[in-house]
Order: sequence, then C-alpha cells, then structure tokens
Amino acid sequence: MLEVLRIAKEQGLEADLFVQKVWSTHIEYEAGMFKGCTTEERMGCGLRVIRSDRRLGFYAFTPPFTPQEVVERALEVSAWGEPVEFPLPSYPSTTEWKDFVDVRLENITVQEMVELGSYLLEHLRTTHPDVLVNVSITVGEEERALYNHHEEDIRFRRTFFRISAEAFRVQEDDILTVYAERSWGNRDIDVEDLLREIQVKLDLAARVVSVPSGQYPVLFTPQGCMVFLHPLLYGLNGRNIVFGKSPLRDKFGKVLFSSLFSLLEAPREPWALGSCPFDDEGILTPGERVLVEKGRLEDGFWDLWSASKAHRKTTASGFRRSPWELPEPSFSVLKVKNGLRDRETLVEEIEEGLVVDSLLGLGQSNVASGAFSCGVQLGFYVKGGEIQGRVKNVMISGNAYDALKNIKEISRDFQWVQGSMLIPYVLVEPIQVDAAK
Amino acid sequence: MREVLCELIRKPKNGEYLEIRLERIVTTHVRIHNGLVEKARVVEEQGGSVRILHPKTSWWFLSFQGWDDLEEKVEFGLRSAALLPESTTGVVLGEAFEDEVVFSPDEDFREKPLGEKVRLLLEYARLVQEASPYVVSSIVEYRDEWRSVYFANSEGTVLFWERPDISLSFVATARSGDTIEVYRDGVAGKAGFELVRRRESLAYKVGKQAEALLWARSFPGGVYDVVLDPVLAGVFIHEAFGHLSEADFLSRNERLQRIMVLGKSIASPVLSVFDDGSLRNLRGASPYDDEGVRTRRTYLIKEGCLSGRLHSRETAFLLGESPTGNARTISYRFPPIVRMTNTGIEPGETPPEELFADIERGLYAIEYVGGNTALELFTFSPAYGYVIEHGRLGEMVKDIVLSGNLFQTLGKIDAVACDFRWTEVGWCGKGAQVGLPTPTGSPHVRLREVLVGGQGYA
Repeated sequence: MLEVLRIAKEQGLEADLFVQKVWSTHIEYEAGMFKGCTTEERMGCGLRVIRSDRRLGFYAFTPPFTPQEVVERALEVSAWGEPVEFPLPSYPSTTEWKDFVDVRLENITVQEMVELGSYLLEHLRTTHPDVLVNVSITVGEEERALYNHHEEDIRFRRTFFRISAEAFRVQEDDILTVYAERSWGNRDIDVEDLLREIQVKLDLAARVVSVPSGQYPVLFTPQGCMVFLHPLLYGLNGRNIVFGKSPLRDKFGKVLFSSLFSLLEAPREPWALGSCPFDDEGILTPGERVLVEKGRLEDGFWDLWSASKAHRKTTASGFRRSPWELPEPSFSVLKVKNGLRDRETLVEEIEEGLVVDSLLGLGQSNVASGAFSCGVQLGFYVKGGEIQGRVKNVMISGNAYDALKNIKEISRDFQWVQGSMLIPYVLVEPIQVDAAK
Repeated sequence: MREVLCELIRKPKNGEYLEIRLERIVTTHVRIHNGLVEKARVVEEQGGSVRILHPKTSWWFLSFQGWDDLEEKVEFGLRSAALLPESTTGVVLGEAFEDEVVFSPDEDFREKPLGEKVRLLLEYARLVQEASPYVVSSIVEYRDEWRSVYFANSEGTVLFWERPDISLSFVATARSGDTIEVYRDGVAGKAGFELVRRRESLAYKVGKQAEALLWARSFPGGVYDVVLDPVLAGVFIHEAFGHLSEADFLSRNERLQRIMVLGKSIASPVLSVFDDGSLRNLRGASPYDDEGVRTRRTYLIKEGCLSGRLHSRETAFLLGESPTGNARTISYRFPPIVRMTNTGIEPGETPPEELFADIERGLYAIEYVGGNTALELFTFSPAYGYVIEHGRLGEMVKDIVLSGNLFQTLGKIDAVACDFRWTEVGWCGKGAQVGLPTPTGSPHVRLREVLVGGQGYA
C-alpha cells in the first residue's frame, strides 16, 4: 500500500488511499428452519489523487493490483476531474484511540450463533405457535485504514454483531409482518429485550381495527421516527446545502423546530456502530457536537469537499458507503435528546390517535422538501389512552419539517436503531391519516 | 479458467451440490452536478464465490476477492458444510450446459476514452440547466459496467457470459421560494455507448418538467379511480404482485401456499401478468440464470387466475415444481435468490383513451419515483399526475403516493389498454441485494377505488 503512495508522491501528486477489509459470518433461519451460513472476506481500495492544477481523480480496485498501474489509472481520471479547493490533510499524530474490538465476537463460533438463533426461535414458538419466524445473525470485524502522500497511515478496527427477527402471521387474506433488530459493536445485545419487542408487537397486532380518515396525534416509535429524521438528515448534508437542494441552507442559527427537539452527533460513543476515531478522510472526530439545540439549527454534516465550497470547517463527516465510493457527508452516531416521561404515559394521554412503528415508502416522496406520504406497515389505533389493535391499509402524510415543529412530547425511554441512532418515542400532532374504504 | 473449473466441480463426493462463480467487473461512473464534474471514478473488481448445499445439512457460501486458492476454498467449504445443522432442503437438478455468451455492442463503451464520455455529459448538463431559470441544481449521471462471469456447478454446467449495462440519468431540482421540486428521467439498457447518444430532448424535458412541478397543485388524499400510464403500471405490478410470486416467500409457509394456490382467481379476467428472462437484450435478460438454469417465460396470472410463480432450484424443490430461471444475484458477494427478470402486464384490447371516459373525478398517474412492498401491502409513487374530471384531463398535480393491498387491489383493475411498452431504468432491492436491473412493461391500466395519500386536503 505504501508503495502506491510513494509513487504518487514521486509524481508530485497529493494522494490518499482508503482500504477497507471486512470479515463476516452470517447465519439465517427461514420459517424456523436453518437455512445456511455465509462467510465474506472482502477488501476494497479507493485511491484519490490531486494534481498540481488541483484536479481530482479517483480509481478503486481490489487485489491483485500493481502500484504503478493504479496511480496511472487515477491520474487518467483526474484529467477530467474538477479542481478542488482543499488539500488532502495530514493525519492526527495521536494513536491513543481504542479499537472497538470485542474478543468474545472475534472468537464466536458458528455453533454458538446457531444456538442463539435456536433460542430465539424456541421462545417464539412457545409464546406464539401460530407465527413463522426468520432469524438472521451476523458477526464480523472491519478494518479501515488510510494512507497519504505524507507517508502517514492510520487505522481503526471494530467488531460488529447484528441480530434480527421477522415474524409472519398469515390468516385468510391478512399477512402480518413484525420486525425487530439489534445491532451493536460488542456481544452485549439484550436478546431478551429483542424477544419482548417481537412478542409485544405480535400481541398488540392480533386484532385488526379500523380508523376513520382525519387528523390525529401520532406517537412514532424510535424506528417510526425515520419518517422525519430521513428528510432532516438530507437537509443537513453539506453537499445538498452547497448544491442549493436543502431547505436548510440559510437557516443555521434559527429556531425552526419544537424546543423539545435536540439532536447530537456522538462519534466516540463506545460500541455504537458508526463510532470512529476519525472519518473516512482521516479527520479526527470530536467527542460530541450539537446539530439542533432546543429547536435551533446549529450545524450540519461537512466533508472536505463541501466544507471548502461553503467556506466552513469540516465536521469529520466524510464517510464512504463502500471503498468504491468517494467520501460524502454523513453521520457517525446520532442521538435525539430524550424527554421526561415514559412512553406508556404518552399513550395513556392520547384521546384518539395512532402509534406508528414502521412505514412503507420512506424516501419515495419529495425528500428535499420534507414532504412524506407513506403506507403504515405496522401501526396501532389508540382510543381513550389504550391501544385498540392494528390498523391496515392506512397512509400518513405530512411534511417532516412541520412534524418537527409540531412535536408535543418526547419520551424518556429510547432505543438504538441499527446500532447507530439513539431515538426516543416522539409524539407529533397533527398528522394526516387516510384510510381505505 | 475453464479447465480449472471443470476440475473443481468434480470435488464433491458425498452428493453435495456445488457452484463456483468468478467475476470481473469494470465500472465507469461520472456525475456532473451543476455543470461540474463532481465525481469521475473507475472501479475494477475481481472476486468470486463458492456455494455448497450438503445433502444432510444446509447451504454454505463464501465470497472472496481475487481468484486465488480456489481448490482450498472448495475443500474448506465441503468440510464446513458437513458440520452445519441439519435442515430439510434440496435443489432440483436438470440439464447441464456448456456455453459462452459474448456481447458485441455497436459502440463498445470500454473503448471510449473518458474524455469523450465527459464531454457528452457536460453538453447534456447544460441543456438540463438551461431548460428553465428555476432549475437550481442539475445532475447528469452516467454509469457503464462490463461484467464477465465464469460459472460452473457440480451438475456439469460450465458457462462464461458477458453482461454490459449502461445507464444515463438526468435529475433537475427546481426551486421557487421554499418550494423545491425534483424531477428525474433517464435511459438504461444492455447495450453499448450508442444508447446514451442523442438524448438532448430528454435532458431538456427533465429541466422543463422540474419547473412545471413547482406550479402543480398537491393532490388531496382520498380514495379515487386511477389510470396508470405504462411506466407506473409496470412498477405497480412489480410491487403489488411480482414480489409475492417469488416462491421463497411461501416455500416454507403453508398458510401462504393455501392462499396463493395455483388456479385461484385473484384478479379480474382482463389481467394477465408474465415474467420473462429470455427476452433478448432487455436488462433483466440472460440465457441462463445465476444457478445455470435456462431462463423462460412464466405466466404469473393468466386471465385473472394465479398460474405460476418464480423459482430457484431450491424453492422448486420445496414446492415440487420446476425451476423457472429466476435465481439472480447482484454480484459474487451474494448467493442467488429468487428475483423477477423482465415483468409485464399483457396488453388488452381497449384503446387507452377509453379508460378515462367514465371517471367522474379521478387521477391520471404518470411515471414513477419509487415503489415498495411488504408482502400484501405496497406503495408506489407517480412522478406527477393530472386530475381527471368528467372523463377529461384537468390540471397537473404532484405529491402523490398510491397504496394498496394485494388481495383487494388486483381485483380493482377493470381495464387494460392495447398499448404496451417496456421501461428499462427500473431496479429492485431485496434484502441486502439492492440495484438489480428489473425492467417492467405494461399498457395503460385502470384501477378503481385506490387509496391515495396526498398532501393537500379535499
């Protein structure tokens, strides 16, 4: 790898090389039956070069490769690249960060994963004999390394652990799907909590009830909150702001949302997936930073490119979806600040409304404007403070930015979504609900 | 490489089913954003996978980078598969094939210098931007990919195929005050560089259309009679029905099998739906699927009755049916799973203009933003639409999402027009495998009483 950078330097180029290695093992149960085991060994490399006229080129590759050739390919691409206004940075000299590697995950056997899967299935089979369950368990380790033309290199390793269960209940012309997942960087996933979530959802969903179309208060579960967080994250993305596609471009420092709503990024959160000592451009991450403070918009996500265009500082937000991709602004670990009262109390206080857990068609609406219109995949009708049953063939619509304004309450209890977003239950009023005849 | 593979597929000695896949993918991707080359990248990927089904246990799958140490990998797999938990499954075996499928496009994009591609895209970018003063952002995105695959299995099949894929898309964002609208359109195909030439009018249209959306009214939510244009109707059938005909959803679910029993009347008799992986040169087509099974046409619905489903070798085994050539993977990194190929609604006899005639107040829904499905429930969004009033087209409307329930909505299709066309730009995601090309084809179709989620209130 260092050879690639040495050659680039000799040719008078600025360069950085991102190398990601992933080893993972995955097992799957389908409808309660063991389906198989999948193992992946992956390595990908992405080379950025910047010529003396500041034009940027990118070439990505897998082994086997010859260092001379990859530099030449990146250089060929750079002939057509746009001049960039940032230099490729020097890496932090501190090596004091800790890798998030759990030896219990490094040493886990397929047999142990199989036993865990059977445990989940056995329990659900006992409590809910009428459902079929798919279980998927993944354990793995990842290394991200960066090398640059200053002949510096930094690296970071982490383990990851993901468990998900999907339960199906089929009755005459009714197919219920209930899903729950837990993802974390170490072995400490609370399997009992996952089981409870599936069981509670199945029980609440047993009865199908109808809801008349209208405007209601809606309590979004942590997973359900993605309906407004997704457009907000789009709006906070530095690239979208630079290209004029974000409605938030000139709104920093202004109060836009309910004072109950605060959003933080916590890149060093121990064991959360997404936590990292540096981003994929080698910028050291801060301990914690504020994006929204009591409804006031404070900051967005800026990678080197968008920060230079907007004359701002990078926020260590340059992440790559894969080694084949250039960095783009994104988040490491997010936290929505929680409230004071628990979710049960919030439900009890709803005279008539919905609890919405999962939605169909997120991102299918106009994400830029914040408009959403989604099918409710799993949602419950509340009357007189009690959940009456599951709603079917219902859609909710509105605007994410209005919903963030109309937050009436946020719960004390919260949950990690995909291991990287800590989100409470959020009550929004009103939300338009349309039901099929 | 052929000899190496022929050697390896003889390794199983205990009745294991073995597949080896070696793949080389070269991709060029250029993204022009507001007239600047935001991204230009070339990616060369070389990798492979070994998949084994042990007769007493279950599936073992390994994906890796590079093509080294294949023998060790196969032997390790055979040892590992024997140690997995027991399961009851199997695969339907069939004919073994030896074949080479090469592709020679009119203009091979691998021979085009990057500069030639970029210059053409910059010209398109200018047209998108200049189409309207309200366009604040324009994207021209180009991608070409040349995939060469070696495939062999223990049945004795040894294949080599080439699969080019090329796409060009235009996205315009128009803005007026706080109103932001996005419109996109593009072309894609299993073709050479010729596909992306002469697209000036499409680029211009995309800019114009983004502006038009600014002035369109939000459509009020409610229940309406809806006419779908061929593009949206294709997405509709993919989401509303195609996924549920993928046999892996029901191969281990007896209750679902009883609901989806072949021969059952599920839609009105005007509706026939097919999937066909053997149609030449559509993006979802290839002579063999990713398990080495010959592709073919499968009728999913014939005159309103369930008449078939899509299979891999395994789901065919579990249901006692025949493989249909629908096992597909997005790359060597994943095992093949049951997927659609090219899916369509067969044209009927009604002229399209007659579909509007008796609609008092409804919606003509056009093109699409996306679609999604959770078995019986689905949503799909048109890019825009027109209000239908007293059988005539009225004003343009936007912010529309249609939603439905499989068991109710198919029965509400009461007219299928005689026009038909394929849309190739579509792709599909299932589980972790996102981005598989899945063209859809359809004529205009009318649906009665559809739930429409909208922003405005009636």
